[in-house]
Amino acid sequence: MNRRGFVQGMCYGGLATLGAPLVSLARVPGNGRFVFVLLRGGLDGLATVVPIADPAYGSIRGRLAYDPDELLPIGEGFALAPGLAPLSELAAGGDLVALQAMAIPYRTRSHFDGQAILETGLDRPDGSSNGWLNRLLQVMEGTREGIAVAAGMPRSMSGSIGVATWSPASLGATSDAYIERLHVLYQRDPILLDRFEAALQLQEVATEATAGMAGAGQGRRRGQMAPVMRATARFLREPDGPNVAAVEFGGWDTHTNQGLAGGSLDRLLAGLAEGILAYEAESGSSWSDTTIVVMTEFGRTARPNGTGGTDHGTAGAGLVVGPGVARGPVLTDWPGLSGRELYEGRDLRPTLDTRAVLKGVVMGVFDLTATQANRVFPGSTDVRPRTDLIR
Amino acid sequence: MDRSLWALNRFGLGARIGERESAGDPAAWLRSQLRPEFAVLDGSANLPTTDEIASAVLRFGAAVRSDDAEERSAARREIAAIEVRESSTSLARRVTSNASFVERLVAFWSNHLCVSSLGKPQVAPFAGHYERHVIRPHVLGRFEDMVLASARHPAMLLYLDNAQSIGPDSRAGKATKRGGRGRGLNENYARELLELHTVGVNGGYEQQDVEQLARILTGWSVVGVRPRDGAEGPPGFLFRSAIHEPGDKTVMGVRYRESGEGEGKSAIRDLCAKPSTADFLAGKLACHFVSDSPPPAAVDAIATTWRATDGDLLEVSRTLIDLESAWDPGFRKFRTPQDWLVAVLRAVHATEVTPRLGFVLRVLRHPLWRPPAPKGFGDTTSEWADPDSLLNRAELSRSVASRVPDTRVDPREFLGLTEVRDSGALSSMLEDGSISRSERVALAIGGPAFQWR
Repeated sequence: MNRRGFVQGMCYGGLATLGAPLVSLARVPGNGRFVFVLLRGGLDGLATVVPIADPAYGSIRGRLAYDPDELLPIGEGFALAPGLAPLSELAAGGDLVALQAMAIPYRTRSHFDGQAILETGLDRPDGSSNGWLNRLLQVMEGTREGIAVAAGMPRSMSGSIGVATWSPASLGATSDAYIERLHVLYQRDPILLDRFEAALQLQEVATEATAGMAGAGQGRRRGQMAPVMRATARFLREPDGPNVAAVEFGGWDTHTNQGLAGGSLDRLLAGLAEGILAYEAESGSSWSDTTIVVMTEFGRTARPNGTGGTDHGTAGAGLVVGPGVARGPVLTDWPGLSGRELYEGRDLRPTLDTRAVLKGVVMGVFDLTATQANRVFPGSTDVRPRTDLIR
Repeated sequence: MDRSLWALNRFGLGARIGERESAGDPAAWLRSQLRPEFAVLDGSANLPTTDEIASAVLRFGAAVRSDDAEERSAARREIAAIEVRESSTSLARRVTSNASFVERLVAFWSNHLCVSSLGKPQVAPFAGHYERHVIRPHVLGRFEDMVLASARHPAMLLYLDNAQSIGPDSRAGKATKRGGRGRGLNENYARELLELHTVGVNGGYEQQDVEQLARILTGWSVVGVRPRDGAEGPPGFLFRSAIHEPGDKTVMGVRYRESGEGEGKSAIRDLCAKPSTADFLAGKLACHFVSDSPPPAAVDAIATTWRATDGDLLEVSRTLIDLESAWDPGFRKFRTPQDWLVAVLRAVHATEVTPRLGFVLRVLRHPLWRPPAPKGFGDTTSEWADPDSLLNRAELSRSVASRVPDTRVDPREFLGLTEVRDSGALSSMLEDGSISRSERVALAIGGPAFQWR
């Protein structure tokens, strides 16, 4: 199968849905590539992008307060967790911006609701399973392809445009008479047929990308993030490959003993840093067109809880990484950590809307208009996109 | 549509060859299964005792504290052996049960009030015990009794951290204030009790209610399973008044006078009795038994029974059988990986399960008692029917089929196990002698018809 066939095949149903726009009036697509990394569970933002200059930091974080000497200062009073030290070159080179005091537009401390908001891109839960990344593909009228590097279809990618899923398979399938007969049987199942065909067409590239990554599993543990990010880079580096990827990692719900340098959370962060570097290394020349955004459904409580961890909070941190990053080291309207500055007396106060960041990034990466970005994020017309993020 | 087949697949865990003929009147056959004694699973010599489990958990805890790597891996092996005994007994029951509607109900409620060993090794050996002692005894009883039992079981107390949640103004809390390690309030369980177990995320509670409920539940703890505890009793639940937050508390507008352990009991019973709990569970049950988008009439019927009987799960289960939409072939459910694999094993007349099954379920992202989050596993098409998973099932079918002795099944019999629309292609393949018998079995169980119930 040639590469173009693979890419169209991955897009099950999508082209048909849109009337096969072989001649499109949309502007000529550039080469932008976008990777949305979702950290499921609620990353502790204050242990990630650490506000070392805030006078209340040490007292409010108590036994979870870092010794500033262990951190990687990035300027403007912030420093990255020790585990993120591998990203120091990217930070020094202006290819990384840390996001702080950022939150989804809806106040919730539920994983389920929080992830739903972040993945649907809406401003309140409405039971919708349409994801904002799928709407992004819709707005680009099928000129771009998406891929979910996840075990199962994440909500962010669900919607009318067909998107392939891929995860490091432990049961590699091969094409043969058995699979062909199954294909005949699947012709009778209108719901499953497209999915089955998408799987067949993914096999080719998947086999190539899994070489040497046995046991990569679902990317939940530190050592598994790098191979997953490396595989993602392989998919996106192809000239006719997908341009938009959803990647997810779990394990961030740190209610107990999250630790400091070298502790359980810091080790996860180290895995994330390794993953980002693995992506950069594997992406080759496509790196120059790539932007990676790292987000989570909510931050955690400012104070430690009684068990050496933190409970579900509100505003948190994120990252934007890539050569296209256009601005300084930290994007935040810092609300402060003293007791009265906290949201409901316990959480970092949200001052930056996730949609402002995401709209700004996709406008920059894919050269979209504000109107198009507002279609990706319905109900966000009054949220000003941070167009200063990407050049 | 064949109603017997529907009863076996939609309500049960999948038809075995020949079982359709014995089902008789399908609705009456389902009702006849609803006897509490059918839900019991014990007496098997293979099952570990509470003491055995506690001793394995203690051993692991001690090994972690002493930082003895060798002892820790030995303890892990002991835990894994217990897990295998529990999970293979439970899966074997699902595969061989003649009352598989009851087993589906057990699986549903076990997932609703789930515990998980993911990231919590000490929960692992208790997970099967939890299902046997918390879910099964109440699966045809009262919902509130099930929730109360779950709140007191070491698996839940350890999984959602309540065992170590300490009231800040309790005796122990005051004594260790500031500087103490691992001592203080943890609201994890209280939040999930509201959001996931009872009233649901839209049930009308606020952050304040979570915090108050967490305080009410301080003291609900464990004994005999943590190395630092004394020997205050046999392994299990212990109310520890020394860590209980004193004073009156208010949850969702109801004031609870200081009464130690009694506050938690009252609060849990009150939450279970809320109309929002009835609505939340009715929606979840309808989604499981009817459709990812169930008709409102089905949800209403379940909620009405729930309210009228104060959450009597026997009556609620009877209502499920009476739902017209549950028998409507226009509604289908995509089999979850566990459902699919169990249906496969029932179809090929497996009589026992091997530890490999546990591995296979992990590959399929649906390991027993190990959901990724307290919400449990989902059961909708969009969550399970992604391209990657379909291909995994296809490959696995071939592997399972190659292990079925040729004499055990005739591939043609699979046509009688599922509703197949437009069955021409499948039936001609199953009769095609030029295809190996094993591959024909694989086509039957790996094909699209077998993915639905």
